[in-house]
Amino acid sequence: MDINLVDFFQRNTRTIMEYTENHFTLVLSAVVISLLIWVPIGLLLTKSDKWAARIMALANTIFCIPSLSLFAIMVTIPALGLGRKSALLALVLYAMMPLIRNVYDGVKNVDRNVIEAAKGMGMSSGRIMREIQLPLGLPVIFAGFRITVVMTTGIAAIATYIGERNLGRFIQEGLVRSNTSMIIMGALIISVIAIALDTILGGIEKLVIPKGLRARR
Amino acid sequence: MKMSWERFQIALFEKAPEAVLTHLLIVVITVALAILISVPLGVLLTRPRYRKFGVVALNILNILNAIPGMAVIALALPILGLGIKPAVVALLFQSLLPIVRNTIAGLLEVSADVKEAAAGMGMNQRQILLEVEMPLAMPIILSGIRTSTVYVVSVGTLAALIGAGGLGNMIIGGLALFMPEYLIVGAGLGAIMSIFFDRALSYLEYKITPPGVRAN
Repeated sequence: MDINLVDFFQRNTRTIMEYTENHFTLVLSAVVISLLIWVPIGLLLTKSDKWAARIMALANTIFCIPSLSLFAIMVTIPALGLGRKSALLALVLYAMMPLIRNVYDGVKNVDRNVIEAAKGMGMSSGRIMREIQLPLGLPVIFAGFRITVVMTTGIAAIATYIGERNLGRFIQEGLVRSNTSMIIMGALIISVIAIALDTILGGIEKLVIPKGLRARR
Repeated sequence: MKMSWERFQIALFEKAPEAVLTHLLIVVITVALAILISVPLGVLLTRPRYRKFGVVALNILNILNAIPGMAVIALALPILGLGIKPAVVALLFQSLLPIVRNTIAGLLEVSADVKEAAAGMGMNQRQILLEVEMPLAMPIILSGIRTSTVYVVSVGTLAALIGAGGLGNMIIGGLALFMPEYLIVGAGLGAIMSIFFDRALSYLEYKITPPGVRAN
């Protein structure tokens, strides 16, 4: 085995940059679309327990499907085919579970007494949602966002098998060519990015906790 | 992509059974090893003497958990080589966290009053652990095992990349050769397998939860 990571990095800087950029645009669009769809749906579900249970069961089921399977299934749908559309749809479907569940849990677990007090002060239900439930539920909602980002970054790598040219490509090609430096480089870059995102978002997560809640922990 | 019924039959009846068996084998071995390592580790980390290591251990496992499954599988190849064994070791790495975390959470949630009552009845530490704490924590531990199992089934499809076989073989082969029949059979069976494990284990979880605990 001939492993020379520094050399590999120097010779392939441009490819690494290109793959990283593709990786991030895919993750970014998937996360933005997921937030736009699932956060409002999660908020809506707090109004109906019956629908919340149904949608959550669906989200759980989708979340169980192996990522390689879901990508593969998307590819067989004629309208999607190989490439970004399939990858995006699969990633957005995966984000459904962590986002909807955390939005729902965050808003639902706000202390009943606080909501009662707000009602007593004459706040409308829309204002209670905006000024009480959302800010107090924010730490839990943000935790869901963090899980989604880290998870999406990881799963996006697998989309290389359906034609995305991203960081997973190093692993895919490295395995095919039994190029050990390439495999290790690919795996290292993805792992470092995932751990960094997780750590940074974990730090922000502590900051968004309202001061009043922080004291209790 | 055009589908052919004959190829679909070949995929389903000739290729699939072996792939499913290999996949099940990988899942069962990995999860069994994960339980054997994680549950004792979780128990140990809740004992007063080792509790201070708990936070450190959980932090390390948390960081390991952030690493994408594909990267772990890929790293297993240069270190451990090809085949089922490296795949199991790679999968094992990340299947530990949910079980350790839930074992700790489950054991810490057992109320101090119950433990005191047990001590008052003359039970020793071991009896309290085995006859009081573990049964009460079991539903939460099982939920961790469920998370882990679904993860192993899911990332297990990637194990095909390092020559471990299983359902991933059919999917990756299908993608490489543009054979949608293989894709549908491999991906479909993978999805069915992980949903089956999820449902079966959550049923078990429901069954072993004492009715009194179930209410809240």
